[in-house]
Amino acid sequence: MALLQGLLWPFQVWNDHVLRVGRWISIVAIALMVVAILIQVFFRYALNNALPWPDEAARFLMLWLTGLMAPTAYRRGGFVAIDMLLEALPARAGAVLSLILLLIAGAVLAVAIPIGWGEVTGFMSRASTSTLYYWDFFAGEWEKIPRRWMFLSLFVGVILLAIVNVELILRSLITLLGHRDALRPIPGADVVGAE
Amino acid sequence: MLIWFLPLFLLFLAIGLPVFFGLLAAPGILLWMAGQEKDITLLYRNVYNGMDSFPLMAIPFFMLAGEMMNRGGITIRLVEFSQALMGHLRGGLAHVNVLSSILFAGLSGSAVADTSALGSMLIPAMEKQGYTRRFAAAITAASSVIGPIIPPSGIMIIYAYVMGESVAALFLAGIVPGIMVGVGLMVMVRVLADRYDLPKAERIVQKDQKIEGVENIFSFLLLRLNLAGLIWAFAPLGEDPSPLANALVFAGALAGAHVFLVFMRSQVSADFRVVCKKAVVPLQTPILILGGILLGVFTPTEAAAVAVFYAVIVAFFILRSMTLADLPDVLSRAALTSAVVLLLVGAAMAFKTVVSLSYAPQILADFILSLSENPLILLFLINILLFIVGMFLDAGPAIIILGPILGPIFVDLGVHPVHFAIIMSVNLTVGLATPPMGLVLFVASSVSGEKVQTIAKAILPFLAVEIFVIFLITYFPAISMTIPRLTGFVQ
Repeated sequence: MALLQGLLWPFQVWNDHVLRVGRWISIVAIALMVVAILIQVFFRYALNNALPWPDEAARFLMLWLTGLMAPTAYRRGGFVAIDMLLEALPARAGAVLSLILLLIAGAVLAVAIPIGWGEVTGFMSRASTSTLYYWDFFAGEWEKIPRRWMFLSLFVGVILLAIVNVELILRSLITLLGHRDALRPIPGADVVGAE
Repeated sequence: MLIWFLPLFLLFLAIGLPVFFGLLAAPGILLWMAGQEKDITLLYRNVYNGMDSFPLMAIPFFMLAGEMMNRGGITIRLVEFSQALMGHLRGGLAHVNVLSSILFAGLSGSAVADTSALGSMLIPAMEKQGYTRRFAAAITAASSVIGPIIPPSGIMIIYAYVMGESVAALFLAGIVPGIMVGVGLMVMVRVLADRYDLPKAERIVQKDQKIEGVENIFSFLLLRLNLAGLIWAFAPLGEDPSPLANALVFAGALAGAHVFLVFMRSQVSADFRVVCKKAVVPLQTPILILGGILLGVFTPTEAAAVAVFYAVIVAFFILRSMTLADLPDVLSRAALTSAVVLLLVGAAMAFKTVVSLSYAPQILADFILSLSENPLILLFLINILLFIVGMFLDAGPAIIILGPILGPIFVDLGVHPVHFAIIMSVNLTVGLATPPMGLVLFVASSVSGEKVQTIAKAILPFLAVEIFVIFLITYFPAISMTIPRLTGFVQ
């Protein structure tokens, strides 16, 4: 039990802090998405000038919003599932099933990580975005943002989801061993998305 | 072998695996077993490509606009406005509940937000007037399903994206069915009001209300501009009117609107006037969204961003219901909900690839056609299937899973894609209020303190009305298709 608690602690601390940073980046991202699209509308109608970059910039931000916010939702139990069977089963059987489900989710994520890395470093990622630029300090000039920066959003999301999944597996094991009371509630678990 | 992905997926769903993982695990396992490991990479790539979409951006924007509008001030205004219009009828507050849901639907599009915002205000008020708590909770839950039917609607954006339809066409097709559900519920309230002697309510709850200066000016201008816009839209201006003719007609319409409103002013009490004026600012949101889309000014995504901008103006400068300190929480909630939906849509696009790689649609089509070749009977059967699915699964995920499988079959049978989209959306949305897994039943239970099973019994007459409307929509395509056809969004 102490071993499991000891294993859980670093994952809990990581998820508490890193996901909080992810949430703040997502907050800024969603606000900037709105601004980008409003600029697009304003330039098209008020200045008769259709800007090429707001569409791609907003999609870039939306991908990162998803990658950084989805792990928080997963940790808080916000992923849609039919939990009727879990609730109908006796507590111990429910805990076993819950662990099996987490292991299946873990397997999906474990397969996704190397594929994601392949996408980030592969041939397709060498292409550039069409309209987005960044200042390259080393070259001292503006460069087009590579598409891998966009691919990276899902890869980072998968990594963060996998770390959350490990925390949830450890919590599930502790629950299965009958020490649920020793677990600290997940912050914000009552604030999840809905239809 | 790949055909087994569907039963495997259903098994994963039944044991409680989150839909996102189920959508990837079931086809992934079978691809691996079939030695098609390279296609698993394709699955991952399609999750990314599925999320990288401009039309999908409307989802976070509409969620954000809804969150901002719901922050104080809006719900009470809509309820008071509804009460001023319908409170005097027998069963007044139940009618108010339904009308508020119709109005709320134009702002938020979320059944859960509707149940929790309107329920927390109206259920105690209805109880105080002598309604049973279960009746109050039941009508709140039943009417909340109008939210995702009347635009803006998250599930219709998802359907349009996954199935390659026009968001605008689906939005427009949802207007009449949404209103019909509302009217049907009001008819049922009227029937129950006679049977159970449900009380009337006061039309004006809070007398001698004041309206703030800035809001007063906005309401004054918006009312006249909207009315003038309406007159101008129907004015016989010919094919290609000159800018001067347009300006003159609009100026005339503006003057006419002003005269009409001044006349109306003398016909109603001061309290009624203030209550109506206070509803103008929030109700401008659906006008802005639909007007912008209909006039071809915005795409639905841009309309959603403009709705957020309008919500910022309303919340910070007109109603002053929000401060900068509230902003991170609102943005965070919208981002959280959006992330879940976007990831799910990405997984659905990957799932859709496997659906097309397998022969599932053909096999299912053969099976369905073996039951009957009459589309009317098949539509009846499919409605029953959708209703059962809706009992267990939320509308969004159900659409994501069933759309790519069922849509092509019925389109091949001659059902218009937009018509089928509306049948699916309305049916699965009604499922939000059906036991055992109806999400809004749980929210209504938590808001009212009444047991879910008690509300589930009390909601049955209202569900009967909604099922009747589903069949009307199914067998009379003109109900949903007329507006999109008249506006040219559907051929």
